[in-house]
Amino acid sequence: MRSTTNTIWAVLGLALILVLPAFAGGQWVKIFTSTTTFALAAAGAGFLYTRLGMVSLVQVGLMGVGGWVTLRLNHAFNFPFEINLMVAGAVTMFLGNLIALPALRMRGLYLALITLMFAAGLDIVFTAKQFPNGAEGFWGVGTTFAADMRRPVVAQSDAAYLRYTMVWLVIGFVLIELHRRMAPGRAWALIRKSEAAALASGVNVTLYKTWAFGLSGLLAGLGGGLLAGSLGLLDSATFRASESVMLFALVIVGGARFWYGAVIAAVLFRVVPGLLNNWGVDADLSLVIFGAALLHAVMTAPDGLAGQINGAIRTLIPSRKSDNKGAKA
Amino acid sequence: MISIENLTVRFGGVVALDHIGAEFSANVSGLIGPNGAGKTTTMNVISGFLDAHNGHVIVEGTDLVKLAPHKRVQWGLRRSFQKEQIANDLTVRENLMAITDHLRGARVEKRADLERAAEFAGVTGILGKMGRDLNTFERRLTDVARCVIGHPKMIMFDEPAGGLTPEETERLGDLILGIHDLTGAKVLVIDHDVELIERICAETLVLDFGKRVAFGPTSEVLRDPAVQAAYLGIDVEEEHA
Ligand SMILES: Nc1ncnc2c1ncn2[C@@H]1O[C@H](COP(=O)(O)OP(=O)(O)OP(=O)(O)O)[C@@H](O)[C@H]1O
Ligand SMILES: [Mg+2]
Repeated sequence: MRSTTNTIWAVLGLALILVLPAFAGGQWVKIFTSTTTFALAAAGAGFLYTRLGMVSLVQVGLMGVGGWVTLRLNHAFNFPFEINLMVAGAVTMFLGNLIALPALRMRGLYLALITLMFAAGLDIVFTAKQFPNGAEGFWGVGTTFAADMRRPVVAQSDAAYLRYTMVWLVIGFVLIELHRRMAPGRAWALIRKSEAAALASGVNVTLYKTWAFGLSGLLAGLGGGLLAGSLGLLDSATFRASESVMLFALVIVGGARFWYGAVIAAVLFRVVPGLLNNWGVDADLSLVIFGAALLHAVMTAPDGLAGQINGAIRTLIPSRKSDNKGAKA
Repeated sequence: MISIENLTVRFGGVVALDHIGAEFSANVSGLIGPNGAGKTTTMNVISGFLDAHNGHVIVEGTDLVKLAPHKRVQWGLRRSFQKEQIANDLTVRENLMAITDHLRGARVEKRADLERAAEFAGVTGILGKMGRDLNTFERRLTDVARCVIGHPKMIMFDEPAGGLTPEETERLGDLILGIHDLTGAKVLVIDHDVELIERICAETLVLDFGKRVAFGPTSEVLRDPAVQAAYLGIDVEEEHA
C-alpha cells in the first residue's frame, strides 16, 4: 500500500513536471509558477500545524522577505541565482527562529496572534519601502527603474523556470518528509502530544521548536525568492498580512497532513482567483468560496480535501491492513 | 540511594509540598497519599517541570534540581505520567526511538537497547503499531519500555496501574519488580492501589496536604495509625474495636 501509493504519486508528480510547463500557455505558465512558490510556503505552514500543532500566520510575509533578499542581491552583485536564493532562505530561516522565541512561551491563539503581528510589521515595511528594482541605495527602489532579473542558467524561459520551481517544491517536500522520519520528527510528535512528554523523553524543546520554525521559514523564503525570479518585480500588495491569513486558512482547507494538501492550498490561492477573472467574475468572490470551504473543512473534514482524496484512494486500492503512515507527508 | 531533602513547592499561596525529606534506599519504593496530596507535584519537581522553591533531590551524588529537564533524561531519569503520554502519530518503535535519539551512543547499540527494552516490557510484537491504536495496557507496557531504555538510573511511575484489570496490574507489578535487575535503576511508584504498593515497594513515603505523614518500610508505614487516619480514611478507633 505504502510503496504503491508513493510510486503513483511520484509518477504523477514527474508527469506533471514534464507536461504542465510544456502545455500551459501564456499567462498560465506564470500563474502555475507562482502557485508552485506559494505551495512551498503552504507546505511550511502545514507541517508546523500538523506536526507541532502551531499556527504561523506569517508565511506570506516571510515569502516577501525571501523575495526582497533575492532581488536585493540580484541587483547589487553578480552572484548566480542559486546563491541569492540560498541566502534568501537562510535569512528567512533565521527570522523563523526569531519568531520561535515567543513560541517557546505561548501557544494556541496567542502564538497565532504574535505571528500575525510579525506579518503586519513586515506588511508595513513592504508598503513603505517597496521591493528593489535596481535603483541605487540599500532599498534600491527607483520610479523609472526595471533592472534585469537574472534567472538560473538552466531555466531561462518561462516554461523551464516553471519546471525549475517545481523541482524546488519537490525538494521542499522531501526535506519535510526526511525530517518527519528522523529524530526531529519524533521530537515534534512528542512536543505536539505535550511538552511534558517531550521533556520526559529528553527532547530539548527550545531547540526543536526553533528548528521547526526555521524550516518553515526556509521554505517560505525559497518560495519568495523563486517568485522574485519568475516575476522580476515584486509588489507589496502580494505580501499583505491578510494574504498570510488566507494562505493558512487554505492550508486547512487543502489538508495539512498530506503533502498534496499544500499543492491544493496553493492552487486555490492562486488559480481560483485567476479562473474567476477569466470568467469575468469579480475575484473577490473567491473569498466567499474560501470561507465556505473553510467552514466545510473545520466542520466535516479535519484532514481537508487531501484527507478526502486520501480516503478515496484507500477505498480504491485495497490494502492488507490500514497503513496510517504510508500516504502521509 | 534517592535522597529528597527539604523539598518545597508553592503555587501562589498554596503550599503543595512542605519541606519534604526522605531517603529511599530500596530498589522499588512507593509514594502514596490521598488525592491532591502532592505526589505528582513531587515527581514534577524531580523531572524539572516545576521549580522547587527550596530543596534538593540527590541521586548517586548528582543534584537533579540543578539540571535542565532534558539533561535529567540524559543523566538517566525516566518517568511515566498519570495520563499516559504516548505520541499518537508515532509507532511504538518510534515512541521508543524518541528517547534514544537524545542519548549518546552508537546506532547499533541504541537499536539493541531498544529491542532489549521492548522484549522486557513485552511490546516486541506491537513495535509497528501506531500510538493511537494502542489499548490502555499496551500503553502502560510501552511506558515501561520507554522507562527502561538507555541505562536509566532512576525511574518514576505515576499511577501506572490506573485503569488496568487486576491481572494486568499483577503483570505490571512483576515487570516493575524486574526493572532493577535489568537496569540497576531505582524505581519510585505512585499508586492508589495499596495492594500493589505493598507487594512491590519495600519502602514507602506517605504524603497528605503536602506534608510528610510517614516514611519507612511499607508494612510498618501502612500500619501507622496516622497513615490509616489520613490516607486510608479508616477510623482508628473502629479499627481497634
Ligand atoms: N500547576 C499547578 N498549579 C496550581 N496548583 C497545582 C498545580 N499542580 C498541582 N496543584 C495543586 O497541588 C496540590 C497537589 O497536587 P498533585 O497533583 O501533586 O496531587 P496528587 O497527590 O498527585 O493527587 P492525585 O492522586 O489526585 O493524582 C493539589 O492541591 C493541586 O490542586
Ligand atoms: Mg497525581
